[in-house]
Amino acid sequence: MSWTQEKIRNFCIIAHIDHGKSTLADRLLQMTGTVDMRNLKEQTLDTMDIERERGITIKAVSVQMRYTAEDGQEYLLHLIDTPGHVDFSYEVSRSLAACEGALLLVDAAQGVQAQTLANAYKAVDQSLEIIPVINKVDLASADVDGARRQIEEVIGLDASDAILTSAKTGLGAREVLEAIVKRVPHPKGHPDDPLRALIYDAKYNTYRGVIVYVRVVDGMMKAGQRVMMMSTGTKYEITEVGIFTPEMQPKPELGTGEVGYLICNIKTLVDTKVGDTVTDAVNPAPKPLPGYEEVKPVVFCGMYPAVTTDYNELRDALDKLKLNDASFEYKADSSDALGLGFRLGFLGLLHMEIIQERLEREFDLTIVATMPNVAYRVTKSNGDIIVIEKASQMPDQAEIDQVEEPYIEADILCPTEYVSAVIELCKKKRGQHVNVTYIDARRCMVVYHIPLAEIVIDFYDKLKSYTRGYGSLDYRLIGYRAGELVKLDILLNDEPVDALSTIVHRDNAQYVGRALAQKLRKLIPRQQFEVAIQAAINRRIIVRETVKAVRKNVTAKCYGGDITRKRKLLEKQKEGKKRMKQVGTVEVPQEAFMALLKVNEESER
Amino acid sequence: MMYNPIMFAVYIHIPFCRTRCAYCDFVSDAIAGGVPDEYVAAVCREMSAFEGPDTAGSVYFGGGTPSLLTPAQVARMLATARRRFCLDAAEITLEANPDDLSRAKLEAWRDAGVNRLSIGVQSFDDDVLRYLGRRHNAAAAQRACEWVAESFENWSLDLIFGAHPVDRWAATLEQARALAPPHVSAYGLTYEAGTPFEQRSADAVDDEAWLALYQQTEEALPGYDHYEISNYAMPGRASRHNLVYWHNEAYAGFGTAAYSFVAGVRARNLLRTRDYLERPGVKAESLVLTEAEVRVETLIQHFRLREGLSTEAYARRFGRRIEDDFGTALDSLKARGLLAEANGRLFPTREGFCLNNEIGLALVGS
Ligand SMILES: Nc1nc2c(ncn2[C@@H]2O[C@H](COP(=O)(O)OP(=O)(O)O)[C@@H](O)[C@H]2O)c(=O)[nH]1
Ligand code: SF4
Repeated sequence: MSWTQEKIRNFCIIAHIDHGKSTLADRLLQMTGTVDMRNLKEQTLDTMDIERERGITIKAVSVQMRYTAEDGQEYLLHLIDTPGHVDFSYEVSRSLAACEGALLLVDAAQGVQAQTLANAYKAVDQSLEIIPVINKVDLASADVDGARRQIEEVIGLDASDAILTSAKTGLGAREVLEAIVKRVPHPKGHPDDPLRALIYDAKYNTYRGVIVYVRVVDGMMKAGQRVMMMSTGTKYEITEVGIFTPEMQPKPELGTGEVGYLICNIKTLVDTKVGDTVTDAVNPAPKPLPGYEEVKPVVFCGMYPAVTTDYNELRDALDKLKLNDASFEYKADSSDALGLGFRLGFLGLLHMEIIQERLEREFDLTIVATMPNVAYRVTKSNGDIIVIEKASQMPDQAEIDQVEEPYIEADILCPTEYVSAVIELCKKKRGQHVNVTYIDARRCMVVYHIPLAEIVIDFYDKLKSYTRGYGSLDYRLIGYRAGELVKLDILLNDEPVDALSTIVHRDNAQYVGRALAQKLRKLIPRQQFEVAIQAAINRRIIVRETVKAVRKNVTAKCYGGDITRKRKLLEKQKEGKKRMKQVGTVEVPQEAFMALLKVNEESER
Repeated sequence: MMYNPIMFAVYIHIPFCRTRCAYCDFVSDAIAGGVPDEYVAAVCREMSAFEGPDTAGSVYFGGGTPSLLTPAQVARMLATARRRFCLDAAEITLEANPDDLSRAKLEAWRDAGVNRLSIGVQSFDDDVLRYLGRRHNAAAAQRACEWVAESFENWSLDLIFGAHPVDRWAATLEQARALAPPHVSAYGLTYEAGTPFEQRSADAVDDEAWLALYQQTEEALPGYDHYEISNYAMPGRASRHNLVYWHNEAYAGFGTAAYSFVAGVRARNLLRTRDYLERPGVKAESLVLTEAEVRVETLIQHFRLREGLSTEAYARRFGRRIEDDFGTALDSLKARGLLAEANGRLFPTREGFCLNNEIGLALVGS
């Protein structure tokens, strides 16, 4: 039996990390008797280690609840948990598109944060009904009026009827459920139209293949049905449809307005595009649902096995990860310095860190990663335009007409006392001022256009330290802009090391080159021969540092039992050496390839 | 020069000193009087109960400060040793601190059976001796050495370089050479972790200064064979005892914290004398070495020696070809100029002496 749309409510929770989203969701599940606390925790634990450790959601979690409201009627509520990081903002927008309403959850002690703001704006753009919820009112530091004022002034929503909750004690949870029933509009799809379902997420399951998370907008879907992906025209037969409780529970069909999953014979996530429309293959809809975009990687880096012989293992690991995460790209690449490896593309820096960590943890591989960089667009003197994804692809200076780099618009929300610090940071990062708005007496929104290259390096961390943790950031790409960009090369014993080349702004080149050379001098251990480290801009050497040779490394005495200790020590050192990469004759530690990050950190001190 | 391997050696640890020197990481306690008879008795008990080889080519009283032993105590331990081991033609060494010596004592030890004396002079400079926290002064050291030379044909002088003031090293070397000791050990000062000197590691000389001092040492001892990284000997006077270690041969260690290496097992006695006295011979740490570990250690140790290791000796000892076991590492070490090969022997170069740990690093896990 399908539910009538009048009884269905689809909603999500927009919240900043730690404002209590999970706790509130637990409460709602508990109150609707969907699941007891313990089961829910297990479900949450099913997520990746990295998500849990960092307190972010990368993959959407969905759950269906049945709630008998005060009006005596039973309603079907679908909670769609959205990813919680700016790297995944497209996924967020698709999750929102699957809903009619959103709870805007604000920590009464912390107030509105940039991420919340950005997502709230997205929800407003998509005409979602937004229900403000002020959480943690049990805290002594709770400032309910302040939070309310911020919601009104910052987001421009009426917060007079904001629900006050303590997800911890359960206070206000029933009111939240009632508000969802009363205020969130029910879906208004067309049951008799051809099927249109929005893919808002997808997961790979080893046993079942790809599980597609869908919201049925028009028509209905059931097992056995032939369906088509509208972006590609690929056809499949559905083997199973069902709902999340939060475990997967098969159902005969999913009706108009419902949220659930479908399984057909999709082997890899690459064939499942978030934002795509699923339609009936026999009786297709004339038009897909709006808003579909191909997500493109914006940050790139090289990853090489620390031990060359691990190349095949690295490739297998990437193949496997790709099954779970279609949004990163990789292709075989080689570096003179690092040998055979891969060039990877990511949605953002966090995304990159996650992939790297998973490679090391889940596949026990030691990876040498190169500095992350963005893609540059180079117009050559002969008019050709090329896009380069690594510095070593940069043509000779003489052949270059102009170099363009991607820019983002950054929205930074911070307490007023940090405005000048934030502006200073944005300027340092080559930002162009757009505007500063005083949102209320205490908070400001600083908007800057900043090269993405500056953001990928360490902007988040910097922002946190410049604002004592109070600043928050959201951004979106706004296109390419020309800049005075040059290639900075590093030479070890006169040999350029491609993996250490970077593209920097001309004004910073001297400084970065110097700092990088100094940093490398500290990182590269002394070896039997002297190591010369040089930085060069357009082949002109701007700085030279040397790592002096080890002339003496000997234990003066070695009698009786000393040998055991000595062998152990040597074995340990040998282990350490495994994390080194042989570049020509020079042994270079992995960290060296990330040295630029450190350079930026130190320049702040 | 070929050294006849001594198949087996006995080490006796005397874990007592008058006072502790700030740089020293040997196991030893400061005591006021002499070595307790109780300790001597425990060592004798341990020795009598020892299971293993019956012939020893060396007995070595090391410390700590073995010169705190009375001649009677030395005689007692040697008598026990003779009952347990055949010591015919054995080298019997006693380590001594200059401030403990007298002509009479030296003669008495000799009569008790000691035939080699190793004297811990360290320096002939009062400032350096003070820096090291040694009890004796230069004049006492000079006098003690003269007495030792009178009583012993076979004796050794211990020196330390790199201690402050560093630039007095030449004078110490000169004074040492004038005494014509048959054997000299010259160690670079190490700021060992866990000693009071650890805090002073900023004093350590840099590589260049160390090399200069090392070279100075070699040049000041022209008639000597620089047979090991830190050791110099007149012909036939290399320390037979220490060669057992460097050849990675078997040895038994008696006394507090002493190490033994018998039948592929390296084991240590209890670390504290009070525990040792209760349970002499009980092992606190016992490591059964794999054949592969023994092979690596054998190489590492041999490459401390000028003579290195003959490929044939390796094959005889392990029944395998050294090239099969270590080929790549050895080739790279030769390419790096740390090892050389001639007449069927692999041996460290001069640079290989100074970078011995690099050799070890290349060999472990290969
Ligand atoms: N005092 C108090 N703490 C809460 C409340 N809601 C959540 N928390 C705590 O805030 C922290 C973050 O909550 P969580 O639900 O994990 O936040 P999320 O990151 O938004 O999912 C946890 O330690 C919760 O126990 C509340 O209403 N009152
Ligand atoms: S150097 Fe010799 S005398 Fe000084 S504490 Fe160490 S063992 Fe004792």
